[in-house]
Amino acid sequence: MTVDLVLVAGGAAAGAFGSLLGLGGGVLIVPLLTLGFGLPLREAVGVSLVSVIVTSSAAAGVYLERHVANLRLGMTLELFTAAGALVGGLVAFALPERVLAGLFAALLAYTAFTMARRGLSRGAPSAGPAAAAPVVASAGTAGDPTAIADALSGEAPAAGEPGGEDAAPRPPRRRGWLAGSSPTSSMPFVASLAGPDYVIGRFPVGVIGSVFAGVISALLGVGGGIIKVPLMNLAMGVPLRVATATSNLMIGITASASAIVYFLRGGIDPYVAGPTAVGVFLGALAGARAAPRIDVRILRLLFVVVLAYTAVQMALRAIG
Amino acid sequence: MSGAAAALDRTVARVLRWGIGASIALLAVGVVLMVATGVDPLGPPPPPFDPTEIVAGILALDPLPFLWLGLIIAIATPSLRVLASLVGYARTGQRRMVVVSVGILVVIALSVALSSVAV
Repeated sequence: MTVDLVLVAGGAAAGAFGSLLGLGGGVLIVPLLTLGFGLPLREAVGVSLVSVIVTSSAAAGVYLERHVANLRLGMTLELFTAAGALVGGLVAFALPERVLAGLFAALLAYTAFTMARRGLSRGAPSAGPAAAAPVVASAGTAGDPTAIADALSGEAPAAGEPGGEDAAPRPPRRRGWLAGSSPTSSMPFVASLAGPDYVIGRFPVGVIGSVFAGVISALLGVGGGIIKVPLMNLAMGVPLRVATATSNLMIGITASASAIVYFLRGGIDPYVAGPTAVGVFLGALAGARAAPRIDVRILRLLFVVVLAYTAVQMALRAIG
Repeated sequence: MSGAAAALDRTVARVLRWGIGASIALLAVGVVLMVATGVDPLGPPPPPFDPTEIVAGILALDPLPFLWLGLIIAIATPSLRVLASLVGYARTGQRRMVVVSVGILVVIALSVALSSVAV
């Protein structure tokens, strides 16, 4: 098999596992290209950003048609994620690769930890693959690919449907440090961003978190859903399903702002980006279709081990 | 959800679907041509993007212009989506969302300008 087809296959595997496990595609693509194909980390990040744009935009289109994503909220927040991504993209070219590798190792370790914790907390025996499907569907707190899986497989519930989490109006939830004294906004513009059954709270927290998500996305080539979804859901009171769908919408412009920097600075090799993006897209489609028939619990635990191993390899690369 | 908002959702969704569809189609053609012509992705880096060579390259069935076009469309699709939203919000008189849309496009323009200057 030629190297280009190996890249397509590797991208497909990353896309499929991403959509099955609720992992961000970038979390898998960047290590695949750096550790598997020996690409410089910065080049791998550029390629990953293109793949992230393709998969998240495809999913966002489906979510918008079903009116699950909140377009007004997403656009308002992506103004800040895009600004963060622009800064992150420029900073990425000034940082030594070892620093980027260290940051990526931390991201991998955090992802492995959250996956392991989720696996343990949902470790009760189930009736098999069918029972495992909700585990996949609820993994949206971890990031965007679940939405991709849901959207591409046509299983995303529309707003107001069972599972859409829009059944009843609710104020923002208060949890931990995110709990503030004035959760809902009195600003008319922010109030106008609310959905039919929920209000928007702690908008300043959302703004700061969005900038941070944009910087991380640009530095590490990930969608940043791992930050945006909990931010919208826990801090701003957006229902989980809406937060996941809206995060997908935002990822496109966030990744685009930094992908432009990588593209114009020669940081995206089309001979690598083309096969990888096609592979990731096809893999996400396949993963989405297979998700209802696969028990992901064992797959998830195996993947925790792989992620932990990859985190160590990245950390070693950072140390030099 | 109002009828105008629902219609805008559908329009934006269409832009995303067509954009990503076109991008993936071009990239797939580029990959097929890469395999057919035996291009090694991990070999020497390709020449920098040159818009004047796109048409001639496509006619010669060179994989590179297909890949460049696919990548550019993928990267531009989210901005086209914002542009479609801007038009929709302007038509329905939602001035604040028009400002937000323009703000996003300004950030994208800055991204292009700062990257080009720094090259």
